[in-house]
Amino acid sequence: MAHAPMFARAIGPTVRLAMYGLACLALMVVDSRYGALNAVRSSVAALVHPVQAALARPFDLLGDAAEFFSQHAELVREKRRMAAEGERLAALLQDRQELEAENTRLRALLDLPPTAGTVAVAARITRILPDPFARRLVIDRGSADGIEPGRPVVDAAGLLGQVTAVYPDSSVVTLLTSSEQAAPVLNLRNGLRLIVSGTGADSLLEVRYLDMHADLKADDVLVTSGLDGVYPPGLQVARVLSVEPPRQTPFARAICQPAAEIGQHRHVLVLKAKKEEPTP
Amino acid sequence: MTANRPLVPQGPQLVAPPSRRLVYGSLALAWLATLLPWPGGMLWLVPDFTLVILCYWLIHAPHAAGQGLALVLGLLADAALGGLIGQQGLAYSVTAFLVVQLRRRLENFEVSGRALQLLPIFLGQQALVLLIGLAFDLPDADWRHLAAGLVAALCWLPLAHLFDRLTGWSNEMFIEPAAR
Repeated sequence: MAHAPMFARAIGPTVRLAMYGLACLALMVVDSRYGALNAVRSSVAALVHPVQAALARPFDLLGDAAEFFSQHAELVREKRRMAAEGERLAALLQDRQELEAENTRLRALLDLPPTAGTVAVAARITRILPDPFARRLVIDRGSADGIEPGRPVVDAAGLLGQVTAVYPDSSVVTLLTSSEQAAPVLNLRNGLRLIVSGTGADSLLEVRYLDMHADLKADDVLVTSGLDGVYPPGLQVARVLSVEPPRQTPFARAICQPAAEIGQHRHVLVLKAKKEEPTP
Repeated sequence: MTANRPLVPQGPQLVAPPSRRLVYGSLALAWLATLLPWPGGMLWLVPDFTLVILCYWLIHAPHAAGQGLALVLGLLADAALGGLIGQQGLAYSVTAFLVVQLRRRLENFEVSGRALQLLPIFLGQQALVLLIGLAFDLPDADWRHLAAGLVAALCWLPLAHLFDRLTGWSNEMFIEPAAR
């Protein structure tokens, strides 16, 4: 009985609302205070994410088809640009290999332990969660591919965010631009260590509580410092747009632009910990 | 518009109320529509199709859709979102309660009249979800999502026309002209 019955044999709508409302409140309290429903959430996600991926499939194919019919001239231009880019990267990589070798030698000389490396796993974005409270994406790699919660996620240009939930065949990435996310960084120009946080806006990051005499200027580039043990050092995070002098507070504030091209790519890289080779 | 209105439902409405298959099938399709990969820039505009269609069936098929179904669908929406479990559940329950209370009144309006009356309910549902999030200390409530309530009321227009056509529903009643 959905409407108010003429003779009360069923539970009335008001009592029903009270019962369901209390049940939902209890669920929310149990979920947010004790995290007791994480198992339920992950098993439901394991069911829902394949459905999502299947639904996203035709749209991906549509996008691919649109690319297929794109202009020939544009493709030729793109190919030339890619070739040039490839040569440039190859040259940089040679340099890098030499530097890496030198670094290892020097580390061995100083008796420092080798740095932990990372392996990149490519993943496809299957869905952007319509959540008014955090900026989150679903990607199509999960614990079956060795993804763990807390691993950094990057795109071609810089740090994108962090894996926050892992399911068997999918995981959820929370973007650095969510306002509760932060990353330890250093200023590439002078090594100044800072913490960059999200603002909740798609294309802005900020440095809160910045010392008013700190040497930070517009156009400074911020890279991860690796001090938190979550993000490996050296990933590009942001470029400083402006530094606001303190107003009514003892701290200044810097507005930055994220290096990652958020919302422009369909693929991301998850940085996995490199497996230690067992020494015979 | 004719002023002639029958006092009891006539035609297909009386003979064949909307079948459960239609009710649950359309709700399942709507739930799948919310899972589609909507472009990231306009997510705050995407209405909750499940809620719109649920409201339609709460008004027009009370034998198949009630507050219990609303609770179940709300919890399903929570599960699909991966957020706080019970958040959408509570919002759906409150919405269903309001719609059930207003059912008799809503029945007598045109599609557009019903949309106008449902608009504050849809807006209230979005506001309730955001307020629950704030109460439970979720970061960063994005108030632009209120606009989805407005879009939901706009979506009501084509969807209600479609389902009115499918179920043969009409709010035009027939009164014997003898009174004149």
